[in-house]
Amino acid sequence: MFTQFSTTAENFSKASTMVFRIGTDAHLYDDPDDVSISPLLDSKFDSEKCEALKRLLALIAQGLDVSNYFPQVVKNVASQSLEVKKLVYLYLLHYAERRPNEALLSINIFQRDLGDQNPLVRAWALRTMAGIRLHVISPLVLVAVRKCARDPSVYVRKCAANALPKLHDLRLEENASAIIEIIGILLNDNSPGVVGAAAAAFASICPTNLPLIGRNYKRLCEILPDVEEWGQIILIGILLRYVSARHGLAKESIMSSLLPNIFSSEKSSESDTDYFEIKKTYEIGIQDPELVATVSRSYLAGPDKQLLNLNDSDVISPDYISSRFTSSKSDENVKLLLQCTSPLLWSRNSAVVLAAAGVHWIMAPMEEISKIVKPLLFLLRSSDASKYVVLCNIQVFAKVMPSLFAPNVEDFFISSSDAYQVKALKLEILSSIATDASISVIFQEFQDYVRDPDRRFAADTVAAIGLCAKKNPQVANTCVEGLLALTSPKTVNSTSGSMDDEAMVLIQAITSIKDIVKQDPVSHENAIIILIRNLDAIKVPVARAMIVWIAGEYNSIGNIIPKMVPVILRFLARGFPSESIETKYQILNAAVKVLLNSKEEDFHTAKSILNYVLELAKFDLNYDVRDRARVLRKLLSCYFSSSGPAEKPDNNEIRLLLAEHVFGDKTKPSTKTVNNRFYLPGSLSQIVFHAAPGYEPLPEPCSLTESDMVKGLEEPAQAEADDSDIDSGSLNEEGSYYSEDSVTTSTGIDDESAASESDNNDNNTDSLINFSDVSKPQEGTNDLSELMSKGALESWLDDNDNDNRGSSQNVAERIPSARISIGDISTRIKPKVYTLLDPTYGNGLKVMYKYSSEASTISPSLVSVDTFFENCSSEPMSKLSMSNEDSESSDQGRYIYLSI
Amino acid sequence: MLQCIFLLSDSGEVMLEKQLTGHRVDRSICAWFWEQSISQPDSLKVLPVIASPTHYLFQIVREGITFLACTQVEMPPLMGIEFLCRVADVLSDYLGGLNEDVIKDNFVIVYELLDEMIDNGFPLTTEPNILRDMIAPPNIVSKMLSVVTGNTSNVSDTLPGATSSCVPWRTTQLKHANNDVYVNLVEEMDAIINSDGVLVKCEIFGVVEVNSHLSGIPDLTLSFANPSILNDVQFHPCVRFRPWESEQILSFVPPDGLFKLMSYRVKKLKNTPVYVKPQISSESGTCRLSVMVGIRNDPGKVVDSLVVQFRLPHSVSSANLTANHGTVNILADKTCSWSIGRIPKDKAPQMSGTLVLEEGIEQLQVKPTFQVGFKIMGVALSGLKLNKLDLKNLPAPAHKGFRAQTEAGQYEVRS
Repeated sequence: MFTQFSTTAENFSKASTMVFRIGTDAHLYDDPDDVSISPLLDSKFDSEKCEALKRLLALIAQGLDVSNYFPQVVKNVASQSLEVKKLVYLYLLHYAERRPNEALLSINIFQRDLGDQNPLVRAWALRTMAGIRLHVISPLVLVAVRKCARDPSVYVRKCAANALPKLHDLRLEENASAIIEIIGILLNDNSPGVVGAAAAAFASICPTNLPLIGRNYKRLCEILPDVEEWGQIILIGILLRYVSARHGLAKESIMSSLLPNIFSSEKSSESDTDYFEIKKTYEIGIQDPELVATVSRSYLAGPDKQLLNLNDSDVISPDYISSRFTSSKSDENVKLLLQCTSPLLWSRNSAVVLAAAGVHWIMAPMEEISKIVKPLLFLLRSSDASKYVVLCNIQVFAKVMPSLFAPNVEDFFISSSDAYQVKALKLEILSSIATDASISVIFQEFQDYVRDPDRRFAADTVAAIGLCAKKNPQVANTCVEGLLALTSPKTVNSTSGSMDDEAMVLIQAITSIKDIVKQDPVSHENAIIILIRNLDAIKVPVARAMIVWIAGEYNSIGNIIPKMVPVILRFLARGFPSESIETKYQILNAAVKVLLNSKEEDFHTAKSILNYVLELAKFDLNYDVRDRARVLRKLLSCYFSSSGPAEKPDNNEIRLLLAEHVFGDKTKPSTKTVNNRFYLPGSLSQIVFHAAPGYEPLPEPCSLTESDMVKGLEEPAQAEADDSDIDSGSLNEEGSYYSEDSVTTSTGIDDESAASESDNNDNNTDSLINFSDVSKPQEGTNDLSELMSKGALESWLDDNDNDNRGSSQNVAERIPSARISIGDISTRIKPKVYTLLDPTYGNGLKVMYKYSSEASTISPSLVSVDTFFENCSSEPMSKLSMSNEDSESSDQGRYIYLSI
Repeated sequence: MLQCIFLLSDSGEVMLEKQLTGHRVDRSICAWFWEQSISQPDSLKVLPVIASPTHYLFQIVREGITFLACTQVEMPPLMGIEFLCRVADVLSDYLGGLNEDVIKDNFVIVYELLDEMIDNGFPLTTEPNILRDMIAPPNIVSKMLSVVTGNTSNVSDTLPGATSSCVPWRTTQLKHANNDVYVNLVEEMDAIINSDGVLVKCEIFGVVEVNSHLSGIPDLTLSFANPSILNDVQFHPCVRFRPWESEQILSFVPPDGLFKLMSYRVKKLKNTPVYVKPQISSESGTCRLSVMVGIRNDPGKVVDSLVVQFRLPHSVSSANLTANHGTVNILADKTCSWSIGRIPKDKAPQMSGTLVLEEGIEQLQVKPTFQVGFKIMGVALSGLKLNKLDLKNLPAPAHKGFRAQTEAGQYEVRS
């Protein structure tokens, strides 16, 4: 009876779910192929087509390959029913790339749909057509996008903007200029929605083509609050890059740490009040200027590059750097950016808030950065996932500028529902923002955390206590007391749960104590005594080993310890065979240390203990222990030689000195291992701690000059096609003849090589041109500017010609019609230098090249390249050769001998 | 930009995949991800941003469903996460909740929605109002129709007018027979009371919810009597920034229906409405526990749905807990939940009993944290007060209403 009942119940529940699922597509998902799909696709009823397509979609959802239906599905693209269309599009986009020939069948229909009355149909057609990704149809798509970019419907224009990256993704060179032109049109659109999508297209297609932004900068800033949230995220990033490239960094912001005279006050040549003001605000918020400089440098250069060039950056002249800075108080553009991003800190979208906060972090004057604190902390209430990301970013902010978050300690108090990673991040932030005022509150909290059921978290807390105590020595005593309580036998014995977890806390506690004691052993004498007393109760090998180390290391401190340690050692020596290996090592070490430090009266005891331990170690099972014992015996042989001195030997014996050095030397403070990888706030790279593909640090400040802007206006396409011509064109104010050439002939670069000798002086970064046969390499620049200021264009050209004769191989007559417009050549404008050979790969040889700012004198269709050699190793180099691989003529190779 | 979105069931099965760009992502990435997530112990939830050998993954979990998005290039991680949250919100709104069955049953709608929400890896239309006009949510009527006629389409054949208006969140040409607008203050109280019984943190996270059914394009202005108590705010895109910056007035054209106009935060409150006092003492293998609960500062309204929850420490082998009011439940995962409901007038609710520790353990070293839940209708504990709500540009006079309530958020009492 019961079974019957249960079956009815089962039937009932089945029936009820059936009722519930009636009218949904459940049956299609469950058995997508219980009927034959092909006839349905060919049916003349839309409803049957729909059903067939839904079945196909279900199969796709379940990961099956149904591309064999492609021809039949493509036919249906002509259907008038929008639902059928939508489903066909979904299918088509999934498989088009695999079936290009059949996909082509649908193109006519798309073309027809693009002219449809209904904007929705137009938009869908465009989206699908662009998504098909066939090289053959890319011209058609381009035409379609161009048409849709001027469509009356906002939605269609938005889809046109989204179609651009799809088109760009096909990597067709001939389309590049047209695509950028369309981006320019869409960025200029009246509708904020379109601008947002255009910004996304800009960021994924040509993020370096900043002149395009410059044209619309003011308008983009004003429209920013109205752009939809996703567009805002991207647009904020673009505007930040633009401002930093065009106007430079703000000298009141944290980036001013790059200004060299901030740190070295004796070099402060500028004594104006402005500078002192900066310095003052600087000192308010920041504890570790070194770290700030590292962070700012990595925002500019990317951490990986920055590590390599660490030394170079010191060489760069102060003038050079300070010319890269502007003022966020007086510069209109910077002010505008800050102004239009500050209301976005109130956005409900956490990504927008973080992006806006990033702009303020980099650009805002330091005293105004506090604006971002409240919005960032508010984000901690959003979803768990974003909480983690936001905390990762706050962690960097808090490390650089602890004062920012110091008043908001309780926001980082841990709630039991936090995920472990979130707890760990909060702990780290808490320990970095702890101040004298808040430390007591934080410790109160830590005491609760130590009793948290999550023992791993408790262990982390113990580590954080140690960190705090190191930072604020006045609380060290309280910390040690608290930590000692954790190691007390009562606690250790009655611990609960798995022993591993407890051991983790115990080890961490002793490590923390060890670190604190190391800073000031004398004042923590008591702690050492208590630890040694507890040794008996502590069974965890690592913890024991650590205590033995502490006992050995500080055996001569105070009055009590020197008496205790030999007793303890005697006790340990008795149990030596049963100890764990790491404890054995430490017992050996401690015995030696005691012997070396022992005074006359204890000398015999110490000696006999060591002798006993060494004897035991000699027969140990572990070969490493045996080896150590042997080494120690040899090292200290003067103590043990049969006829050896009964008294303490003289201190000048070499072995003894060595032993003293090994064991007696106080351990040096370990170098800080700070994570030196910093990426722009809000970036993916900052979360995963490596530069993700496509990550770009901020552009070189002020690298975008007026002439680039003009050129960008004239030929947006050119600028994009080759990055280098932004640089090579920087000399030309009005015309851009040579930069054009450099684009068209960029393949010809190899045909010419200009080799130069660089004498590795510290002016290296300043020199513009270094030719082998110019005796004064550095003065080349000065000559140029002098001559030009006189307006002696002809003589300069002659001069220049000589230079080129020495450098380029195929010297021909200079072309008299060469048009060079002369602007303000100063050290400020510099062509970008590219690395050809890295010192790490070139056995210390570093080769750099750059596109020369002069036009080639041979023919306008050639480009001259300057090459720099630098010997970074300590050894002299010889027989450097540079050959041309592309050219047929074999005598192109040139040998340069360097004697450094 | 995002390359692919997967929806995973709570058993790790891939329910849906939606490729977004030409760079296809194989679904084997899901298997890799699932292996990662099950290999982690309990307290180590998988990170929301993971670098897998081939892709960067963003993931959120909502009611057992994992939303997984992949990318290979640098992009703001919060953008990916925030978008997935938006997808989850829209789906659960459409389907009336999220679970494996409901997603499988409505997979076509999910596909259509995803296709509208994201184009080529960049969000396209995420505004729920517009989506609703483009793709009709499933409802009883459409279900029955499809059964009877076998032919209904949930895809709208015209483009919603809102896509082109300057207030994209509002459907154009709305007509309501009864014009009414309701403003709710919904507040959550977060508090931490440490082991000494000291209130170390107490703050309110509030939301101003507006439920508007107004015809035409109305222009609303809402002002507070005491805006200065607000520590920080977040706005719906419809709120104009200028009036708030200058006079702290909310001026907006509302979307239709229920939406969050603004969220706010009030910090450093001094009082909590209830007290929870746990006491734990342990000796020789057993542990006595007692928890007292009562009203501390009478909020003037009834404190309802009072619940005290905590997890028994690992070392507890069995527990015997009774209460003089309400019911005590101990669940399989060692969560103990004491539901009190309303606090009686005549007595103070108390739960007490003994915990038996596992063998060999004398004393309880770790201390559980008690999570408290309550709900108070009719009062906003932050003290925020609405001043007035002005409606402009309305064809007919409208009815205005106001409500408030406070719930416990992360309200924790450490022992």
